[in-house]
Amino acid sequence: MTDRTVSTTSPRRLLLPGASTQVGLLAIVGFLWVVFTALAPGFTSPMNLFSVGRSLAIDIVIGFAQMVVLATGGMNLAVGSIGVCAVMSTGYLLQDVGLPIPIGLAGGLVLGGVLGALNGIAIVRTGVNAFIITLASASLFLGAMLILTKAVPYNALPPELGTFGRLRIGGYISPLLVIAAAIGAALYVLYRHTALGRQILAAGANPRAAAMSGVPVGRVIIFSHVLSGVLAATAGLMLVARLGAAMPAVGGEEWLLPSFIGPVLGGTLLSGGSVAVLGTMFGAALVTTIRSGLLVLQVGNFWLQLFLGVILLLAVMADRYRSVYAERRSLGRR
Amino acid sequence: MNAILRRFLMVEWSGLLGAIVLGVVVLSWLSPAFLTEFNIYVMLRSFCVALLVGFAQMVTLAVGQMNIAVGALGGLVAITVGGLMETFGLPIAVAVPVAVGIGALGGLLNGVLTARTGINGFIITLATASAFTGINLGITQSIPYYKLPPAFVAFGSERIFGFPFLLIAPVIVAALLALFLARTIPGRHLLAVGGNPQAAELSGISRDRTIMLAHVLSGTLAGGAAVLAVAQLGSAQPSIGTDWLLISFAAPIIGGAALTGGNVSVFGTSLAVILIALIENGMVLANVDPYWVQFLLGALILAAVWLNRWRAVRTGGG
Amino acid sequence: MKLFCDSIRGLAASSIFAGLTAALAFAGPAQASDNKIALIPGGPHPYFAPWEQAAADAKKDFGIAAVDFKVPTEWKLNLQTELIESLSAQGYTAFRIFPGDAVGINSTVTELKDSGVPSAALAGCAQDPTDVAFCLGTDVYNSAYLGTKELIKAMGGKGAIVHLAGLLVDPNTTLRVKAVEKAVAETNGAVTLLQTVADTDAQEAADQKINALLAAQKDQIGGMIATGYIPSVVASKSLRTLGDKRIKFVGIDDDPIVLEAIKDGFVAGTMAQNPYGQAYIGAYALDLLAGGGCTVKDDAPWIQTPQTKRFIDSGTMVINAENLASYKDDLKKITTEIQGSFKDKYLTCK
Repeated sequence: MTDRTVSTTSPRRLLLPGASTQVGLLAIVGFLWVVFTALAPGFTSPMNLFSVGRSLAIDIVIGFAQMVVLATGGMNLAVGSIGVCAVMSTGYLLQDVGLPIPIGLAGGLVLGGVLGALNGIAIVRTGVNAFIITLASASLFLGAMLILTKAVPYNALPPELGTFGRLRIGGYISPLLVIAAAIGAALYVLYRHTALGRQILAAGANPRAAAMSGVPVGRVIIFSHVLSGVLAATAGLMLVARLGAAMPAVGGEEWLLPSFIGPVLGGTLLSGGSVAVLGTMFGAALVTTIRSGLLVLQVGNFWLQLFLGVILLLAVMADRYRSVYAERRSLGRR
Repeated sequence: MNAILRRFLMVEWSGLLGAIVLGVVVLSWLSPAFLTEFNIYVMLRSFCVALLVGFAQMVTLAVGQMNIAVGALGGLVAITVGGLMETFGLPIAVAVPVAVGIGALGGLLNGVLTARTGINGFIITLATASAFTGINLGITQSIPYYKLPPAFVAFGSERIFGFPFLLIAPVIVAALLALFLARTIPGRHLLAVGGNPQAAELSGISRDRTIMLAHVLSGTLAGGAAVLAVAQLGSAQPSIGTDWLLISFAAPIIGGAALTGGNVSVFGTSLAVILIALIENGMVLANVDPYWVQFLLGALILAAVWLNRWRAVRTGGG
Repeated sequence: MKLFCDSIRGLAASSIFAGLTAALAFAGPAQASDNKIALIPGGPHPYFAPWEQAAADAKKDFGIAAVDFKVPTEWKLNLQTELIESLSAQGYTAFRIFPGDAVGINSTVTELKDSGVPSAALAGCAQDPTDVAFCLGTDVYNSAYLGTKELIKAMGGKGAIVHLAGLLVDPNTTLRVKAVEKAVAETNGAVTLLQTVADTDAQEAADQKINALLAAQKDQIGGMIATGYIPSVVASKSLRTLGDKRIKFVGIDDDPIVLEAIKDGFVAGTMAQNPYGQAYIGAYALDLLAGGGCTVKDDAPWIQTPQTKRFIDSGTMVINAENLASYKDDLKKITTEIQGSFKDKYLTCK
């Protein structure tokens, strides 16, 4: 549905339309919800729903920050570093400079965008691959943050921020989840309904062909990195609201794997040219659901990761066989 | 004279080598301790595990796959080798092959699942990584195995002059791996499948079998790395492998491998590992303010990559 | 498989708990309560192994409905808070937490308090302002300070030292760096701080950095202080490999590798903490608080630390060659003392 595949990758992959991946994921997440609710009534208690939704919201935005760069066929290993830079700069603006909250938050977002732009420009200008550039810049950004802040957290922020993070809409919905959904909607519109979105996907699928048909590939890549930086900063600021403090230990390498999980589970290709906005949300939801379900069921303490891995494996395999089955049936009908 | 230089500069990894030589010169000028026998030993010893970790990812990159589970598999092998020796009292000659075998088996599982289901290898190995870590923590409850045979621990720290015994394994593995990729049929199949899966399949190479082979190799290498890490640390820590992910990708890719597959370099990967270890060693030697370490690490990697890029542009390559 | 992991866990805890239950037998099951208390470490780590036994003992000795040791799957703050939130949704009535981050844990603690669930910091403290009832554990600042003093003493009051510190982004690391600097400054130049090496919390990074450090400055270094679990273990091993007894070293915690090195003379001492006692007393105190019967006294003899105003020392002591055999008994005594007087000293009960 949300997928625009302008891809020229292996025919095997093309047989699998991304839209069905998203339907399948949604079905599996739904199925797991039913199972966990049946096994442990506490799973759908307002407290648990609120807590799951809130951590999911941050994971989704981290996933988006990676997804927008994956669309161009690149990647951004610096999402975590940009996130923590935004967090600490907002902390500085609010606590040390004493600016009002909106300006402090805007400062963090702008810094995220600027750092993203640095990544994008470095990649386009040098032609070195995005992996290496962002690997190095992740270290540079984090290092600069350490030098400037001496790793001292800001824990006297305006209390409204922390209150916002604890706010519950209707008893169990976190406003952070609403923000994540709004960002998702905006990205959906960008890739689905704007010329810029189509240019990004075209550049990601086949840069040479895109350039020949007049797409400013370099600018498109830089734009995607700016967007990625702003989204990473957003995730960081959501975490500030969640924690009520700006601390240097958030983000960093810890975001690396989560940033890929959502998009890739959701059907975004690492080779570029496709995005799955809804898929990224469902992908993140799948992992969060399994983890939360296992916690509520109180499965095995130290063994929990084993169950998490096995269920995740079964879930993606179930989805795979469902889509292969659906494909065969539709071929048979033809 | 320029002919030789130019030919050298044409080689993909020559920029990395240049950066390393430059680093060695600067460091030996900066710190008198750098070229002492003991520091050479310390540095060589710090390559060992990282080299095998880099190779473990490199072989999956060769077929256009990735293995998110290298670290998790490493952790599992580490506690297996420790557990077999401490709890079951098995001799080194049995424990090590069995543990590395577990690594290969884990790799086989990754390979079979990836090839048979056709699901993206990233997702499969992400899930198995979680499972392997779960088994590791479930068995150990995060408590290390301490009582290892003295001969095994000694292997991790003994040396002849500046040459650590520990380095023997990665050197042999690197040579074999280079031979395997360049001179044997399965090795070439690996690169062929990575370079162009359709063409490879049309010429009769089994894509599934090749992917499985790559994952088995990857698991085996990760297992080897884990055994070396246990010997190096002198105890089997369940946390071994937790920070391998980034370096496992960084080494082959800085060394010239493409994420899309078909192009890897054993020598380039080795140089990348050496470069990173050199930077880290240099920062301790130069007594860098701890708050500056991260920043300089990034800056120096960037500088080295830029040097390589500059060389490539100058010689008209990639 | 299950069997042999149990035996290992037993090894770590049984020696401590055997004597302790005997010592506390007089206390008896003071009250039977229906509280469900969770003990939450920062992540999987050998330091917390004795907590599981302590939880079981506290449940039995104090007649608490449940005292459970619950481990976050990885050492990450968000996984810890998710675990706490999930357990809270399932009706746990009190939490003892080792803060995954001294600042970052506070938001979760506030939420617990808002829903009437008390919590306390265990082993490490939460940074003020905080809603934890109190902190029972090790004052990281004081421990690093005392450790450095011990090191300086072992070095005969003069020489050059290096500090092996943990993760730079951890607020505790900053405090430890300051504590070491303070102890060094007090010598008026007799002792100098040659170098601080940070981010040594991962095995391989620690091995690499510590050995590089020894290679660079072996002859200049008179002593080393480690303020993290992993650098303590790695430095003990490196000094043994090097066969160097000239460099004095003081570590932290009682990992078998460190204790072994103390016995053989490669390590001067290590800063003990009291993990079993922390969990045991912690469960006892929270049981009293969670029932609503007791509240924390404001004017109790709290110790003020750089992190918090409500601190109770769970037993910070130096283990060296002299008390290597007896330190576990000393910690037991401390545990009994704190537990015995806790109610009167720190709580107001109806």
